[in-house]
Amino acid sequence: MADHVAGGVPERFVPRTTDARNAGETAILAGRRRGPSVAFWGMAMLIASEVTLFGTFIGTYYYLRFENAHWPPPGTPEPRVVVPLIMVGILATTSLPMQLAAGAAQRGRVSSARAFLVWALAVQCGYLAWAIHDYVDQLHVSTPQDNAYSSIYYVLLGADHAHVAIGVLLVAWLVWKLARGLTMYRLNATQAVAWYWHAVNLLTLVVIGVLLSATI
Amino acid sequence: MWQSRPGVLGWVMTTDHKRIGLLYFWTTLVLFAAGGAEALLMRTQLARPNQHVVGPATYDELFTMHGLTMIFFFIIPMTTGAFGNYLLPLMVGARDMAFPRMNALSYWVFLASGIFVYTSLFIGQAPNAGWFDYVPLANVKFDPGHAIDFYCLGIIFNGISSSLTAGNFIVTILKMRTPGMSFNRMPLFCFAFLAASWGLLFALPSLTADTLFLFLDRNIGTHFFDVAKGGSTLLWQHLFWIFGHPEVYILIVPAFGIATEIIPAFTQRRVVAFPLVAVAELLVVFIGFGVWAHHMFATGMPTVTVVFFAAATGVVVIPSTIQVFAWCMTFITGNARFKTPLLFIAGFIFMFVAGGLTGIMFLAVPFDQQVTDTYFVIAHFHYIIFGAAVFPIFGGMYFWFPKVTGRLYYELPGQISFWIIFVGTNLLFFPMHIVGLEGMPRRNYTYPGGLGWGTSNLLETIGSYLTTIGIIVLIVNLVVSYFRGAVAGPDPWHGATLEWTISSPPPEYNFAVLPKVSSAYPNWDYEDRAEDRRKLAEGVMVLEQGHEQPVSSPIDGWWAEIVEMPHDSPWPILLALAMSICFVLLLLHLWMGFCFALAGIVLVLLGWHGEEPQESVA
Amino acid sequence: MLAGCGGSQNTLNPHSHQSADIANLFWVMMAVSFGGLALITGLLVFAWVRRGRRGLGGDAEDPHPGEKLSWFVVVGMGVVFPLMVIVALFIVGDWAIVKVTQAPAASSTDLTVEAIGHQWYWEFRYPGTKAVTADEMHIPVGTRINLVAKTADVIHSFWVPELNRKIDTIPGQENRILLYANKVGVYRGQCAEFCGLQHAHMGMLVFVQPKAQFQTWLKKQAAPAAKPASPAARRGERAFLGGSGSCSSCHAIRGTPARGFVGPDLTHLASRTTLAGLTIPNTRGYLARWITDSQHFKPGNDMPNFHLTDGELQSLVKYLEGLK
Ligand code: HEA
Ligand code: HEA
Ligand code: HEC
Ligand code: CUA
Ligand SMILES: [Cu+2]
Repeated sequence: MADHVAGGVPERFVPRTTDARNAGETAILAGRRRGPSVAFWGMAMLIASEVTLFGTFIGTYYYLRFENAHWPPPGTPEPRVVVPLIMVGILATTSLPMQLAAGAAQRGRVSSARAFLVWALAVQCGYLAWAIHDYVDQLHVSTPQDNAYSSIYYVLLGADHAHVAIGVLLVAWLVWKLARGLTMYRLNATQAVAWYWHAVNLLTLVVIGVLLSATI
Repeated sequence: MWQSRPGVLGWVMTTDHKRIGLLYFWTTLVLFAAGGAEALLMRTQLARPNQHVVGPATYDELFTMHGLTMIFFFIIPMTTGAFGNYLLPLMVGARDMAFPRMNALSYWVFLASGIFVYTSLFIGQAPNAGWFDYVPLANVKFDPGHAIDFYCLGIIFNGISSSLTAGNFIVTILKMRTPGMSFNRMPLFCFAFLAASWGLLFALPSLTADTLFLFLDRNIGTHFFDVAKGGSTLLWQHLFWIFGHPEVYILIVPAFGIATEIIPAFTQRRVVAFPLVAVAELLVVFIGFGVWAHHMFATGMPTVTVVFFAAATGVVVIPSTIQVFAWCMTFITGNARFKTPLLFIAGFIFMFVAGGLTGIMFLAVPFDQQVTDTYFVIAHFHYIIFGAAVFPIFGGMYFWFPKVTGRLYYELPGQISFWIIFVGTNLLFFPMHIVGLEGMPRRNYTYPGGLGWGTSNLLETIGSYLTTIGIIVLIVNLVVSYFRGAVAGPDPWHGATLEWTISSPPPEYNFAVLPKVSSAYPNWDYEDRAEDRRKLAEGVMVLEQGHEQPVSSPIDGWWAEIVEMPHDSPWPILLALAMSICFVLLLLHLWMGFCFALAGIVLVLLGWHGEEPQESVA
Repeated sequence: MLAGCGGSQNTLNPHSHQSADIANLFWVMMAVSFGGLALITGLLVFAWVRRGRRGLGGDAEDPHPGEKLSWFVVVGMGVVFPLMVIVALFIVGDWAIVKVTQAPAASSTDLTVEAIGHQWYWEFRYPGTKAVTADEMHIPVGTRINLVAKTADVIHSFWVPELNRKIDTIPGQENRILLYANKVGVYRGQCAEFCGLQHAHMGMLVFVQPKAQFQTWLKKQAAPAAKPASPAARRGERAFLGGSGSCSSCHAIRGTPARGFVGPDLTHLASRTTLAGLTIPNTRGYLARWITDSQHFKPGNDMPNFHLTDGELQSLVKYLEGLK
């Protein structure tokens, strides 16, 4: 039979996700495909959209800042600097275990992938707990109803925390999924979620940076 | 190969892009009728000076709902949802969208948001501050009640659907093209939808943020738009138009895409200057992101700012003129057969140029500041929206009717419907230029007699009825053809793209064999098609082991992998339901309930992702 | 109801240099546009005439007939030509005409008028004097006026098409525009930004007067209200001033204790020709019916209908008619 070629690749060289029966075969297939998975591209779309949303928030922040002579307005406390910076720093380190988990999955090492995810999850949960606590704490001092500054402050910060929370749910779900073996689907998911976290970490850094810019 | 599930359940749980496209089509048609009915009521009210068909409160709801419906619930879902869904996978030679279940979710969310927004009309709380809903008029102080909350939540809700669709389209175009279809072999239609999808993806967040701020201002007392507390009223306008201007190109670009399919088919000539046209389609949307403030020339921004945005608006014209001349030259150098679809495209070019030229006039700032917020602007954008976005939709309805139904429409009534609509819309919208220049502001529920506006308004009203008659002729023609039309066969027009290579209507799996593609007009590459038939007979490249679909690399279209696609699923509609509950609870200020509903969404998502593709069939 | 109340608001019927420049610009743009539209229509008609033939010249068998010529047309007519048109338009519209029509340097003007948008009427103030009026402003002819547009509530837009382009009133912002009239006359204007229920009835008249006449008018408007002349009018004044919920809780009449600021200043009501944003003429009959049934003429406006006895109404109208 002639070897039929589509787009420069013969049919028999093309990996078929349904062919994988175990973690090892999944990894082999994943290694043979060209470029990132469709799931990755889907995640890229989500990230593009979320980043734009945050871009709009941040644009709003600076627009309002330049409309106001005093920023923050008199009577509204300036954001604290040191603790948030340390906490984001810690959160940012979770990009490492997330990437390691993605890499481990790519090589078919389910248990080490899980271990990396648990490591990341622990740190992320810690950050989230602190973040919620801190948010509520700040609400005792000032509220989004005070003025435009505090409105955008709390919305921006809250939106960021919400993204961390979603990320935590995703990682927890992955840990649970990977407990039942690796499939192409789960492999793709691990890589996509890793990218989600890179984006969230970056966003958190930027958001905190923007909010702290009020102290300069 | 797979078959879809029979019966109602088959539609409710479907993930087939063609079925979803049809669902979109019927839903948007109903919403179009609603938007049209609102417009006719307005026109009836304005037919003569000082009439009392509807009162001011109703009139305000009418134009707001009309604008909202036409933009968010008709054009966008009709072009992307219906045409895009049905045709994109066919054109790129795919068997489905990249994310079929998400595609279904888009539809159900869209339907739910439509019901949500229209509920407001039935409980007498319809949005009433115009489609761009300027604060402070839209803030709670001047507009208490739920009207604007419906607006905010409805737009966010609808935006979720559009964003999902946009992301889905982009990935489908980038990754699901049949192996061998590199970027330069992709039909212009796909470039157009790629451009529109990027536009949606990057424009919508701005609107989402804006409506979110307004919702918070109204309901929990934040101060984004409250000048007294450091907020800004112009902030609303900037954020709205940062979305709003790209939005108008998002409306038009799919129409360009439809035109660039119909023209080659009926002139039997490839579109002139293909690379320029492809780039122009992308550029129009890209540059469109930098011109938003031309909607705000009268807000007292500094002259430099104003002039900068006028200049930017001038630049955005170039890609449009490129396309217009490319189409015209294709008409001339090809062998034009003026059947109904091509008539609509010729009408589209005429209307687009007429509307575009008034658009250019606005970039003379003093003139814009004279006519902004008058019927001159209404004339500009109806020429360009009705003429340039809706005409191609009508043309496309005729053009792909044989593909979707397997039957031919009746040609003579088709041409008659075109001429009625063409004359009707010009009668409807041309006098608006005049009455606008004569000083008639928009959004007036009535007007005095002595200012010379009566005749124009009466003509407009007559034109609106004529247009409606034309649309009804069109719809009746299609409905009758559906039952009585001659059998069409796979390729009645000798069309250029892949959808014409398969039977009408297409089978569930679209392509039995992976089509070979070596140009952007694959149906005209006869050797390739012969090879397809050979391969089908030999049973190679058919991928029949399950719900299989090839994936290719984004730029050069090399075959990357074969994936198993999801089957029918109940989760999309369930998720849309859970989301609707969330939005209703937000509307009612039931914050705790909202949190529980969020948890419900998480549960549905768990169920959704519990259903993994059956990967180990082998 | 009532026709235009005098004055038209036609952008193509200019009565100032500014408005004339813009109108001329329009005529030129329109001519060019019709040229462009005719060109495109011509191409389409040409295609229709040539239907059934392929290519240009003898290249019908070519897979891309006439491609080269088409590229020239697309690049030439689709890029170069519009660029030229746009640059020309930009220089004329956004450089030359912007200069003459834009907000003036305050020092270059002879008079400042404040226009304050309310839902749904215009309040006019003449800084430096006590004059306050509503819906009908007067200006001297041939004088550069610095018009300051402000709002008391939502966004409105000050627009007198025959004199100059419009300007929005934005909360928290003071926008300005140049107002100038070549000729004595009455010019109609209208709020041009949607501002709620009665946006359609937020008209205004600009009375352009010879300078001396204008000064007399201004002096009169700055003066306090005339004292009621007859017993009936005095009764009317008492009714007007009455307790809470009466007219004076919303309206001001300078020279009396009435200091309300919800509705228009009525100090010189009788000197106006129209009522309630040009909705009705200022005649005895309409004035009386406005007081008892303003919601009929302007549904949703902020003044409630008053149920008065005939006597009360008559004396109230007598009083208001005396406010010359
Ligand atoms: C499909 C939608 C669509 C499209 C495609 C456009 C296209 C354009 N629009 Fe339009 N516009 C709207 C929909 C659209 N618009 C809507 C809905 C509003 C009002 C919103 C509201 O207020 O409610 C609006 C309002 C609007 C304004 C604000 C008016 C105001 O409120 O004061 C402006 C100002 O610059 C503008 C400009 C333009 C320009 C320059 C183009 C250009 O892209 C047009 C380019 C096309 C051409 C130029 C045609 C080709 C011409 C030729 C080939 C002939 C030769 C050319 C030359 C000689 C130059 N539009
Ligand atoms: C896609 C966009 C779109 C379309 C197609 C239309 C179509 C029409 N519009 Fe448009 N219009 C807008 C978008 C659009 N409009 C927007 C954005 C505004 C601004 C709103 C604002 O200021 O906030 C506006 C404002 C606007 C005004 C100004 C209101 C005002 O400022 O006071 C008017 C007035 O005449 C008007 C009239 C019409 C008419 C008569 C049609 C007609 O062409 C409609 C004809 C269509 C029909 C009559 C439907 C027929 C359909 C069927 C018969 C289908 C049957 C189907 C089944 C049986 C299933 N519109
Ligand atoms: C609740 C507030 C309120 C009260 C009380 C009220 N008015 Fe008014 N009045 C208004 C408002 C607001 C307008 C402007 C309405 C518009 O044009 O939209 C107005 C307009 C008018 C006008 C037209 C003014 C003009 O320049 O066009 C007259 C005359 C008038 N009122 C008289 C009266 C009299 C007499 C009374 C008492 C019997 C009265 N008003 C009580 C709010 C009030
Ligand atoms: Cu004030 Cu419209
Ligand atoms: Cu625009």
